[in-house]
Amino acid sequence: MIRYVGRRLLLAVPTLFGISVIVFVLLHLAPGTPGAGGAESLRRVSGKAAEEMRRLYGLDRPLPEQFARWLGRVVRLDLGESFVDHRPVGERIREALPNTIVLNGLALVLAIGLAIPLGVAAGSRPESTFDRTSGAVLFALYSLPTFWGALLLQTLFSAQLKWFPLFGVASDAAPGGFAGFADRLAHLALPVTCLTYGTLAFVARLVRSGIVEARASDYVLASRARGASRRRAIWRHAFPNALLPVITLAGLLVPAVLSGSVVVEKIFAWPGLGRLYLDSILARDYPVILALSLLSAAVTLIATLAADIALAAADPRVRDGSGV
Amino acid sequence: MRLFASRLPLTGRVAAGVVLLLWLVAACSPLFAERARTIRLEERLQAPSATHPFGTDDLGRDLLARVVTATPISLAIGLVAAGVSLGIGFTVGATAGYFGGAVDLVLSRLVEVMLCFPVLFLLLALAAVLPPSPATVIAAIGLTTWAGDARYARSEILRIRELDYARAARAMGASTPRILARHLLPNALPPLIVSAAFGVGWAILAEAALSFLGVGLPAPAVSWGGILSTAPNWIEEAWWIALFPGLALFLTVAAYNLLAEGLRAISTEAGRGV
Repeated sequence: MIRYVGRRLLLAVPTLFGISVIVFVLLHLAPGTPGAGGAESLRRVSGKAAEEMRRLYGLDRPLPEQFARWLGRVVRLDLGESFVDHRPVGERIREALPNTIVLNGLALVLAIGLAIPLGVAAGSRPESTFDRTSGAVLFALYSLPTFWGALLLQTLFSAQLKWFPLFGVASDAAPGGFAGFADRLAHLALPVTCLTYGTLAFVARLVRSGIVEARASDYVLASRARGASRRRAIWRHAFPNALLPVITLAGLLVPAVLSGSVVVEKIFAWPGLGRLYLDSILARDYPVILALSLLSAAVTLIATLAADIALAAADPRVRDGSGV
Repeated sequence: MRLFASRLPLTGRVAAGVVLLLWLVAACSPLFAERARTIRLEERLQAPSATHPFGTDDLGRDLLARVVTATPISLAIGLVAAGVSLGIGFTVGATAGYFGGAVDLVLSRLVEVMLCFPVLFLLLALAAVLPPSPATVIAAIGLTTWAGDARYARSEILRIRELDYARAARAMGASTPRILARHLLPNALPPLIVSAAFGVGWAILAEAALSFLGVGLPAPAVSWGGILSTAPNWIEEAWWIALFPGLALFLTVAAYNLLAEGLRAISTEAGRGV
């Protein structure tokens, strides 16, 4: 197990290096840099910003030297200053991070927590009325664009019914204590719902197909033949095997939720990383854009690694190398 | 072809019908261009009625005409972007799978790196650094989503290259390009078509998201995402601006996804292949 973890960590090093190369290439596509070229793109960035870019990233140096310098700064977590308010990028990220963690963490926990019982219930009786209905609903949710879902929820629950606030993290005159907590929960309800349903549909469909496949297999039939109850056969024998692909894909849920967070945070004026990223994109605030691209990819890499290691812990075939 | 259609499950056939209908609407959309452009401030923000079945927007333009006018660009961008993504993905994946060894190691790492970026992050970054145009939107979507296709193509080629007919072709001295084009590509195609159908739905969604976030198609072009981007301003007054363009988008994405699932059901059937 330790050897497996060590090998996975070692393999992550070139990936991390590759991520920084991609971000570096991105930087060189930016208008006003030598890589961009073309009068059209130069027009869109002011002389001052271009000058700052040159100074910040040493753009007049040869490419390998630029890359080495840039990498050196990133490794020391020196992410530069925002072009917009000239505050350190790290500081702006630290401010936004907790809001995003609350939103995305809640969404992930809810999505997985709801998807598993739903998927198991549907998969253990395939083609039943429940399976067909939940299948149709999950398919619809899966195809429902997040930003449209958000607009519909706002229209129905905020504008018409006035059950939940339209946007923001808390009311302006938020009361303290329990009422303040309830106020924050009310503000969380719609954005968390938006961020949850897509992931929920994806995971539930995955669990369902895993269960459908597993329940027909010999070991589940054998457990039934030995006298195990239906419930025990499903949860004790079919479920652990149906869970394996879910663990594998859990790492990929993180980038999906982060992507969704950009849209949801914009619509609900949620001051998190997603909105910071979008604002930086619209303002062409390159230091923030690069830092956040790097951060989001690194987080995804960590999540993927964690998922791989969890899978190895759950499935001996993986860590012995016989399955991969 | 008839055989093919009859093997598609009912939902898939309905979805194929919806997709055809959408392309038909797209073909007729020039008829609505005039209406979609006409600004009548005295008719602004009108609720759906007989004259304006979808209501009017904040400039008094007919929303139905605008939704119809946006159809061809959304469908076309989805199709082309998915094609670009599939083209890059297949080339990279097939190369890695066929040659193996060091080539595979390098290309697989590249795919892994690409999969680490949340798609929307990379998409927005590309849309921000390239000049705004339909070509940029297509390139951004194609360049950010190919990694999944590549992984798929690689595993397909890996499976097929060891099958008897591929080995026989190699034993008979067929050249590498010939084996790839003549033997591997046609047999790797069915699952890739499934992936492409999902890709079209995804690309349409991506274009709408970019336009919604304000970095998609530039001003004169009308897209569903672009119309939806004005909806938050009128969320209290005009629900129809949020409802109808989104419904069109949802219907399109759902139809492509359902079609893809139908195609997948065919390609994973016992006989697989055709």
